[in-house]
Amino acid sequence: MTIVVERVNKVYQSGEVDIHALREASLNVPDNKIVTILGPSGSGKSTLLNVIGGIDRFDGGSVRVAGQSLENLKDGQLTEFRRTYAGFIFQQYNLIPTLTVEENVEVGKELSQNPLDMKDTLEKVGMWDKKDKFPYQLSGGEQQRVAIARALIKNPTFLLCDEPTGALDEETGKNILRLLKYVNETYGTTVLIITHNQGIGDMAHKVIRMSSGEIVEEYENENPIEPEKVTWA
Amino acid sequence: MILRKTISRTIKEKKFQYAGVTLLLVLAVMLYVSLSMAITTLEERNDTFTREYKQEAFHWMSSDPLPDEELQALEEQFEVTLERRAYQDISTDENSSLRLFEPTTEVNLPFISQGEMPENEGEIAIAETFADRNGFNIGDVVSMGGLEAKITGYVFLPDYIYMIEQQTDLLADASIFGVGVTTSETLAALSGNEQQQILGWTNSNEVPEGLRSAVNTISTLLQFISSEDNARIQFVESEIEGAQSLITTLPLFILGLSIAMVLMLMKRRLELQRKEIGTLMALGYRKRELRRHYLGYAWIVGLIGTMTGLVLGAGLSLPLSDLYATYFNLPALSMFDFDPVVLVVGFVIPLVLLLSLTMLVVNRTLKTEPLTLLKPKEMSSGKKSWLEKLPWLNKGSFIRRFRLRLLVRSKARSFYIFLGVMFSTVLLLFGLITFNSMDRLVETTYEDIQKYEYAVHYSSIQTEDRDDDSPYTMAEVTINEEKVSLYGIEPDTDDLHLMSEGERLNDQLTEGVVISRPLAAIQKVGAGDELTLTNSFNDKKWTVQVAGVADVFIGSNVYVPRTEANDFLGYPESAYTSVWQDDKPASMENVFMVEDKQKVMASFESTSGATRNSVLGMSVFAVLIGVIVLTLLTNLIVEENSPSISLFKVMGYHEKEVSKLVLNVYTPIVVVSYFISIPFASLGIEQTMNTLVQQTGFIFPTDVTWWMVLIGFLVIMMTYGISLSLSKRKLKKVSLQEALKKQQD
Repeated sequence: MTIVVERVNKVYQSGEVDIHALREASLNVPDNKIVTILGPSGSGKSTLLNVIGGIDRFDGGSVRVAGQSLENLKDGQLTEFRRTYAGFIFQQYNLIPTLTVEENVEVGKELSQNPLDMKDTLEKVGMWDKKDKFPYQLSGGEQQRVAIARALIKNPTFLLCDEPTGALDEETGKNILRLLKYVNETYGTTVLIITHNQGIGDMAHKVIRMSSGEIVEEYENENPIEPEKVTWA
Repeated sequence: MILRKTISRTIKEKKFQYAGVTLLLVLAVMLYVSLSMAITTLEERNDTFTREYKQEAFHWMSSDPLPDEELQALEEQFEVTLERRAYQDISTDENSSLRLFEPTTEVNLPFISQGEMPENEGEIAIAETFADRNGFNIGDVVSMGGLEAKITGYVFLPDYIYMIEQQTDLLADASIFGVGVTTSETLAALSGNEQQQILGWTNSNEVPEGLRSAVNTISTLLQFISSEDNARIQFVESEIEGAQSLITTLPLFILGLSIAMVLMLMKRRLELQRKEIGTLMALGYRKRELRRHYLGYAWIVGLIGTMTGLVLGAGLSLPLSDLYATYFNLPALSMFDFDPVVLVVGFVIPLVLLLSLTMLVVNRTLKTEPLTLLKPKEMSSGKKSWLEKLPWLNKGSFIRRFRLRLLVRSKARSFYIFLGVMFSTVLLLFGLITFNSMDRLVETTYEDIQKYEYAVHYSSIQTEDRDDDSPYTMAEVTINEEKVSLYGIEPDTDDLHLMSEGERLNDQLTEGVVISRPLAAIQKVGAGDELTLTNSFNDKKWTVQVAGVADVFIGSNVYVPRTEANDFLGYPESAYTSVWQDDKPASMENVFMVEDKQKVMASFESTSGATRNSVLGMSVFAVLIGVIVLTLLTNLIVEENSPSISLFKVMGYHEKEVSKLVLNVYTPIVVVSYFISIPFASLGIEQTMNTLVQQTGFIFPTDVTWWMVLIGFLVIMMTYGISLSLSKRKLKKVSLQEALKKQQD
């Protein structure tokens, strides 16, 4: 098991009020699978993803990812952890506007000891033809493809996708989901997708449902559907 | 690192901002390097010439020539080298005169830069600048002083580095006065009044103790001047000393402004790229990699700025050195004195400061957690500072309240605008005050105070009655070991009106002494204070009370009634050493020196063009700095407020109204900064004058007049106007979609 989360708590302070973003959250993510974390806004799904990705600390419990316990890692060690194992995909793509498609992907490639081939990766995400374009010349879906390529080229152990289709229309969104499935199947990368779109859960191997910082439901999906069949909400 | 590409693209995109800060850095380094190198070259030339050509430690003139055996005895007794030197002043035309010396072999050795030393009768070598200004060339035969003289070469004398006719002259003007050397035979054949002086040289460049009084016991001293008190020697030293403060202060201030601007740009860049930094951190970029990346901006600005500044500064130092060479009569014993320290300081200090301060700014952002950076920045608009809570900020129309709030919220911008305007104002007013002070000095000294045309100094004490002229006694005394000129005058003389702010102080001579402004500044005394004068020859002391300070801006002078001065000096009651008169002396018999007021005024007139040019130069520089700083800041203001600007446009505000809301907000800061800076400028120049008065012996009147304030104000507002119009172009370019885009982010 690559990712094991045990009884993790996370408390934010907002003024004088404590907000429990995670309460005793426990979770096992099987290797080489697609896992979807579902839940409404404020349910703690993003916090859980950030804790697993090593960009947020937690207050209690343990998180073991790729054999490393994250709770004891210092800032520098967390950076090395992210550098080696994690690939992030954000809702707003977060591309660097002054770099071309190819250069944006190169930002990810530089971090890896064992990167994938640039042309191959860009072809896989369907952006090789537009490798010299700048982000402002691309549609939202195209920008997300570049963001996936940037995360993927590192050849990470897992991909952490925070609402990857949240800013996209149905058709483009489904194309992105298809791409994520393709990455999972082709490279064996574990893919964690958080979304409030219930339909996306149907394409995952495992579905986790969260509410008020707690994991309220967790089940294996024996027959994940194809992305194009996902009911778009 | 692929991220490097973003640096060049960002700089290209924001070329105006980065070019502005780089230009400021170039100006700072260029100014420092050019002035330092020119001064180093000047210092080196002066040192070499002084040392190798045996510049005098002192010289004297006495009423009777000292026989050779007396000189030899003094040499042995005081371990000095003494050499007699004869000279004559001859007119080359109506306005100009040449001081011809016989060549020396022990002290003040002449240096021939071109041509040859005169060897035969009728041959002369003259100062190159004098030849240049009067149209003389080597090989020319010119008629002067009843002599047909052939110019054989150009000469420099170590005791005439600042080529002034009288020690009291302020300005050197090679078109009306020059020096030269000729053979003893030629000098003897001239029709003028030959003078003799004794030049002294010592290893330590000090005047041996007791020498002065020993000479005075042999023959009455008319003049004894050590190199320390010799304006022709000392002025170059004062210039070097004065320039040192200019070299560091001015560039340091521009450097400070430039670094502040870079830091502001960096803060803005980091703010804009918060999300990018957060993403890069989340992807696994190390802090040191990101730090290195963001320091790249400072490296580029720093390297381009310092390197260009160094090259331009080194290049500019050559014409500056040449300018100094014509101002000071110094031979070009070296052309370009390379001072590695200047280059290292000019390169290393700006770069180290820039990089280390940028690193502090970058580190502040990099300390933030990646998750925090990835989230949109918390809205701070809800929080009000104490300034914003002031009741008067929340009254009036929307436009008024919006403008005031913007002003209060961008305290750093307001502060830098304040500083930028202050810097330009001080520089501008420095120029205007200097320009005006020259005119005031001439007007006060030569029109209001000196009512005579000629001051005739005799080579021995006179007692003969002078009905038409104003006889006076002049002697050198000391106050607190500082040399001072004692003037014994007739209180009711019509030739010298000791004026102070329109009031004549001559009548107050019965109550005490009147002193000049430089003396008041050096001794830090005023009316009512006491001064103790010491007779340099017999150590007799005389304590006097200061009755007033006259607007005499040149020389450390004490004015007393003639009878009292004679009594103190041990002269007969009716004695005098000099006379003020309206006509040129008919005979030069027994005359040691004649001061021609019109000549001095003419030299002021001829240098006013150069002064005007330097004032113009300072003004252009002030405006340039002002435009760069103000435009950079207003440009940033537009950039920061682009969502609001866009929103105003969407809502239907006209561009003029938007500009009024966002850009013209800073007008009160500009106006306030200007008026606050005026006393600073006045105080600054007064302090500079007071610091230099001991070396220079003069003080410039530093009044700020209403026309200076008006001109300065117009120039500053014009500068501000230029900056605004440049930034309005950027404001026009803010698209209507900007507001929507920001909302999405």
